[in-house]
Amino acid sequence: MMYPFGLGLYYSLTSYWLQYPNRFRFVWFDNYISLISEPLFARALQFTLGFTLVAVIVQVGLGLVVALFLHARVPGRNVLRALMLMPLMMPPVITSLMWKIMMASTNAGILNHMLSFIGVDPINWFGSTQGAVVSVLIIDTWGNLPFVSLVLLGGLQALPTEPYEAAQVDGAGPLAILRYLTLPLLSPFLVLVMTFRTMDSLRIFDVIYATTAGGPNDATTNLLFMAYQYSFQWFQMGKGMAQAVVLLMLVVISSYVLMRLWNRTAENAA
Amino acid sequence: MASRLAIRQRYLWNAVLAAAAVLLLVWSLFPFLWILLTSLKAPAEIISVPPKFVFTPTIANYTALVMGEQQGQYASARPDFPSFFLNSMIISFGAVALSIAAGIPAAYALARFNFPFKNALAFLFMSFRFVPFIAFVIPLYILYHVLGLYNTHLGLILAYQLISLPFTIWMLRSFFMEIPMEIQEAARIDGCSAIGVLVRIILPLSGPGIAVTVILGFMFCWNAFNFPLMLAGRQTFPVTVGAIQFISYEQVLWGQMAAASIVAVMPQLILSLLVQKYIVRGLTMGAVR
Repeated sequence: MMYPFGLGLYYSLTSYWLQYPNRFRFVWFDNYISLISEPLFARALQFTLGFTLVAVIVQVGLGLVVALFLHARVPGRNVLRALMLMPLMMPPVITSLMWKIMMASTNAGILNHMLSFIGVDPINWFGSTQGAVVSVLIIDTWGNLPFVSLVLLGGLQALPTEPYEAAQVDGAGPLAILRYLTLPLLSPFLVLVMTFRTMDSLRIFDVIYATTAGGPNDATTNLLFMAYQYSFQWFQMGKGMAQAVVLLMLVVISSYVLMRLWNRTAENAA
Repeated sequence: MASRLAIRQRYLWNAVLAAAAVLLLVWSLFPFLWILLTSLKAPAEIISVPPKFVFTPTIANYTALVMGEQQGQYASARPDFPSFFLNSMIISFGAVALSIAAGIPAAYALARFNFPFKNALAFLFMSFRFVPFIAFVIPLYILYHVLGLYNTHLGLILAYQLISLPFTIWMLRSFFMEIPMEIQEAARIDGCSAIGVLVRIILPLSGPGIAVTVILGFMFCWNAFNFPLMLAGRQTFPVTVGAIQFISYEQVLWGQMAAASIVAVMPQLILSLLVQKYIVRGLTMGAVR
């Protein structure tokens, strides 16, 4: 498995056009330099980081709410829990196609139709820059919210009961219990889902490919999609690979940061 | 008076909870339901304004899917969905079989033996879960053209190992580690070799764990999109890439795409009911039980 990767690393230092194999030559870091100086690169980097930040906050936040909700004694909890598995195991591409059908930009789209009841004008979901970003976020959240909530729910159900009894004896309110008891106890699980969601958001591809294809006006082009365009639309393999290496470094850095966070919470919990 | 207020508050609270439950239900279920409806509609009904909830259902989209025909007027794009389905089956089964064969000894070694760089190795496998796939696809694409593996089932099965092998190793490792060490030690004292322990003790005892790993691994392979998008051609497309073929330059076959989506997720829905309890464990590679 390491061999193709090493080969890729080498390609990232070469000028390699698939259509012109004769022009293959070693160019050191030219690919990296020309990439970084490109205006699209800055925008893609910005979108990648911004999207990851927002997606993780929204999904972990909502996921926590859903987990707490399912943890409370809600009627039909088991049914809800089982139904939440449905979005979870669907191929992300299929999820995207489903939402694409629902998000048709005219009133024929069921989503716009439903929004019209509460007085919202038809939204141009994939056609406008902001609409496209929001659409990708919604679709990604639909597919991954169950993951976050189910992991956190598992965490909640594994918590010890004694501290809660003590807190009730002391007369702590529900919000105080949440803030000073549940969240600290749950923090290893929170870091875990944050790690998984961060890594997956940094390299989100399926949803973007199936819905917006990076557009409109490159508004939803992230680093991964840019690398895909370079290598598989314009067949500049060297440049695409250089882009992939940049993204990989980003992933390594964030995994390092999250790992540190993980160690800290583990120490605190112990 | 005070108790009345408390009762009222409780009713209110219950109403809020019920509303939230309904909201959650609609949010998780509605997209699926709507696509099911769409897949039963004729083309004109799909784009009708306002959207229709009541209509005469037709299975034309499904028959078109199975026959590999299309209702549209353009012949250039003709997704051959049955063969996509078969491709998905072949590739996913092949990938899981290979991963299990290679993963059992690896997981056993990581779970029960001490050797240098053991943890580093385990984490290397884990890190494949997080690597942006394109870092592998580009070199593989070039390599596959040289080796003649491009657009072949074997090539895809090998590429899918990046998805299924790390997962298999970590899942099996977590299942193997649940088996008490004492049983293994007892067997060793009775003269069982290391491989004998694996074959006679570990494997029989972790049968259910292996079954879960196989099913979940199959599901992850079924979901794969990136590798086949770039390493497969029309003859080897799985359902994920196949479903997107209903969008072409000339037209979008919404009805057939909806039907294809339904068919493509069916195995996932059935299998996920089977392994309900283990899905979270699988998605976190054994980290959360």
